[in-house]
Amino acid sequence: MPITKRFVLILLIFIGFYQFAFSQDKFTISGIVTDSGTGETLIGASVKLTGTTTVGAGTNAYGFYSLSTEEGVYELSVSFIGYKTIKQSITISKNIRQNFVLSEDNQLNEVVISAEKRDGNVSNPQMGLQKINIREINNVPVLLGERDVLKTLQLLPGIKSAGEGNSGFYVRGGSTDQNLILLDEAPVYNASHLLGFFSTFNSDAIKDVSVYKGGMPAQYGGRLASVLDIKMNDGNRKEYTAEGGLGLISSRLKVEGPIVKDKGSFMVSTRRTYLDAFLALSPDSSINGNTLYFYDVNAKANYQLDDNNTLYLSGYFGRDKLGIAEAFGFNWGNGTVTLRWNHLYSDRLFSNTSLIYSNYNYVIQNFVEDNNFEVNSSIKDFNLKQDFEYSLNNAHNLKFGVNAIHHTIAPGKLTATEASSVNATTYENRKGFELAAYLSDEWAVSDKMNLVYGLRVSGFSLLGPGSFKTYDAEGNTIGVTTYKAGEFVKNYFNLEPRISASYQLTPSSSLKTAYTRNIQNIHLMSNSTSTSPTDLYIMNSNNVKPEIADQIAAGYFRNFNDNNYEFSAELYYKWMQNQIEYRSGTDLRGNSNVEADLLYGDGRAYGIELFLKKRFGRFNGWIGYTWSRTQRQFDAINEGKWFYAKQDRTHDLSLVGIYKAGSRWSFSSVFVYNTGNAVTYPNGKYQINGRTAFYYAEKNAYRTPAYHRLDISATLEGKPGRKLQSSWSFGIYNVYNRQNAFSIDFKDNADDLSKTEVVRTTLFGIIPSVTWNFKF
Amino acid sequence: MKKRNILGFVFAILVGLTGCEKVIDLKLDNAAPQLVIYGGLSDKVDNHLVMISKTYDFTDPNRFNAVSGAKVIVRNEEGNTIEYVEVSGGVYQSPKFRGQSGKKYTLDVTFEGKIYTASSTMPDKVPLDSLTFKDFSFFGKTSTYVAANYNDPKGVQNQYRYILTVKGKVEADAVSEDRFDDGNTIANVIFYKLDDLVSGDTIDVEFQSIDRNVYRYFYSLGQNSGGGGPPVAPANPPSNFNNKALGIFNACSTSKKTVVIK
Repeated sequence: MPITKRFVLILLIFIGFYQFAFSQDKFTISGIVTDSGTGETLIGASVKLTGTTTVGAGTNAYGFYSLSTEEGVYELSVSFIGYKTIKQSITISKNIRQNFVLSEDNQLNEVVISAEKRDGNVSNPQMGLQKINIREINNVPVLLGERDVLKTLQLLPGIKSAGEGNSGFYVRGGSTDQNLILLDEAPVYNASHLLGFFSTFNSDAIKDVSVYKGGMPAQYGGRLASVLDIKMNDGNRKEYTAEGGLGLISSRLKVEGPIVKDKGSFMVSTRRTYLDAFLALSPDSSINGNTLYFYDVNAKANYQLDDNNTLYLSGYFGRDKLGIAEAFGFNWGNGTVTLRWNHLYSDRLFSNTSLIYSNYNYVIQNFVEDNNFEVNSSIKDFNLKQDFEYSLNNAHNLKFGVNAIHHTIAPGKLTATEASSVNATTYENRKGFELAAYLSDEWAVSDKMNLVYGLRVSGFSLLGPGSFKTYDAEGNTIGVTTYKAGEFVKNYFNLEPRISASYQLTPSSSLKTAYTRNIQNIHLMSNSTSTSPTDLYIMNSNNVKPEIADQIAAGYFRNFNDNNYEFSAELYYKWMQNQIEYRSGTDLRGNSNVEADLLYGDGRAYGIELFLKKRFGRFNGWIGYTWSRTQRQFDAINEGKWFYAKQDRTHDLSLVGIYKAGSRWSFSSVFVYNTGNAVTYPNGKYQINGRTAFYYAEKNAYRTPAYHRLDISATLEGKPGRKLQSSWSFGIYNVYNRQNAFSIDFKDNADDLSKTEVVRTTLFGIIPSVTWNFKF
Repeated sequence: MKKRNILGFVFAILVGLTGCEKVIDLKLDNAAPQLVIYGGLSDKVDNHLVMISKTYDFTDPNRFNAVSGAKVIVRNEEGNTIEYVEVSGGVYQSPKFRGQSGKKYTLDVTFEGKIYTASSTMPDKVPLDSLTFKDFSFFGKTSTYVAANYNDPKGVQNQYRYILTVKGKVEADAVSEDRFDDGNTIANVIFYKLDDLVSGDTIDVEFQSIDRNVYRYFYSLGQNSGGGGPPVAPANPPSNFNNKALGIFNACSTSKKTVVIK
């Protein structure tokens, strides 16, 4: 690949040149920015020095900033949306370590989506990025009053819901498994509870949510469509607090406080549903013996060893359990643990080392004696990340690092008792190793132009032990090779260039453009139209190649009215290679030959995303609109013609409005409209053994009926000034009771078998909710 | 119970708690009629049938849309042929004969100048030993189901098809394989509720040993109809015919049990 080689060369030359040219007579100011009330570090706060030259930087994921500039007197400002700006004069004549504490500004009513600084959306070269301010997420109405990060994300342009009430999402034509979902850097494999109706992210425990739809920085890799980077709260370093809520579906409780005041803190947040508590009230033993619930626990602790070293330990454990007494049990869940060490090698060189464990598994138990069985399946990762941030000078900020991940997929272990007709079997585990290194430079080329360019180099190895098959295009086995533990079965190597640039047209408007290549080495097999907890993960192999996506994007960003209104328009085009589909009749259950049933093809997605937001004032909110197309092409499907992917939706519109009436009441409303999903409907029928069967002429040539819905909610805050603060939230989901199609089925009329009818199933009509929240 | 049923059950709870079903009108484009061939032979001495029809519009009343005038010939590996003769519209019948296990049969249907060919290998016979009834209760409601009992031969990949006929009407047509229970005594429950039966009603189960392609065809057909589970993107089931004919040619070994309700 000569182009990428040249790219690396140019990168190295640039960095070397600037190191040489600008590294003399510079001093550095660096430190941490925190919240005055809780001591939590603030992510994305802006630190700016204005003098003979102007330099600025945002705090990183750990609240750290570092600025290098020439000797002199500067006006320093530290700002963050929702906080009072600090302004002071500062003389820089040596390296300075300076921490800042910002206090909340209650006058501002920033809406849920926040850019890091007031004009950050215009001046930052990053595009395709959207952030959610978690503190205000409870303003947006949601299903059953369960506030949910993933469902709020779906109200942004370019991010679409995977279905009614579903926390799964599609980004720019990608499928749900093409999103990299990180919770404190740990990948979360199944981010939903109760088959998708609730996300695994308890918003009480979350500090920062960023989603990259394109232009992913080089430190992220591993999935094609997006990166959802979620960071948990560190815990209050000042005082002990507790907060929680009682809702229709679940209750929540969070406790946090200092371990050692101003040095370390902890946070534990839990949530559990109690639908099963109602089942238990039934006198009928066949009902009260059933289980149906989920819980999750987020926990985090941090300790600052000294000015240069901080340790963080965070974990997530969640589980869904459902079962029928004496018949079957089914449970699934994720567990993640992240241990991190922040270290400052110098005022300019910030280092973070992370050791991450991530596990997803499910267990199915059948207790019926003559065919009892238990299935255990899991995917387990050990992940080591080393990231560096180096503030080279006022024009260059470098990020570089390495990442090694070891995957173990246990597709299934089937156990059964003697009395069972089911045979105990263990399917071969699959092991894989991913190694990536990256380097990127954020370069302030001029006052008007910013550039972020970098390269990610990623390798994947499929490892023994086991026997590995190779299949021909028809799915017939053409070779079997057995490997010993640790032997390489297959290696893949890829270069992922990333570049984005911004040009500021005026102080309040800019143009941006980006090119990104993403690689995906691990793939989720799901032949149902929604995801299920038993979907199977596979890795690259002799047959499955890494998925590749190339995306180009361009956008216009404009703020109006003293940054009160924010507007953006982004265009994107994406090519995808090595996409995966299934032959008809593929059975994913315990199928060790699943690769024989896979088909490989290409994809393309393009669209335009428009976003207009009013950010401040009593009334705020936003309008997001997306026009898009996403298609796939497989030689063995649809006679090789391009067809619409199921997530193709031509129009997608979201309106969000929040109104604060007085000091205690606030009201909000959400309206969504989107074109129906692409689906396959019959083009005729026939009979097989006297029963009606359907003929399908073309894949995904139809649309489900358009989806639209209006939700409203009202929140009443308790009287201020009390020790126990409480609030009531009332909501109505689907106010005008729109009967949106969850599925469309075709079947013979039960009373008149000569007729075939179309049956629409609606999942949620109008649903009211109430939640009581408290904090002390 | 298989995993699919468990997931289907969860969906059924969720839909049952909050969902709502309604018959709607939908405009569907009608494709040009396609040829459908269904039938074959078994190891029983019988007049075996092949049914040939064409697809028709979705809104038309359900019927067997017969195709007459086709030439239907089954041949074995030795090249011996048997002709199936049209006895009524679209129904082609063989003279009495029985197929042999382990033999590959090929069906050639000649219609309007085109030859549609499919092959199927008749598996060894696995006899159906008995039918038993089983009760399952889901959320307080108990229903009765029939189970087919048989002994699966060890060390061989087997596929089975169950055709449940209740009071003369085919109510379930399902398949299974022995991937999880090879070599064991099996009681496979057919998930069709037998709740409204009265004394004197008959139910019977035809139990076929089928080859892999036939299994795959019926498995895919079953996925399309969903069975209450998460919706699967529907597609035409993989036919063993060439030239884009729909349907399946099935050379199977078969046995049958009948129960009269007392």
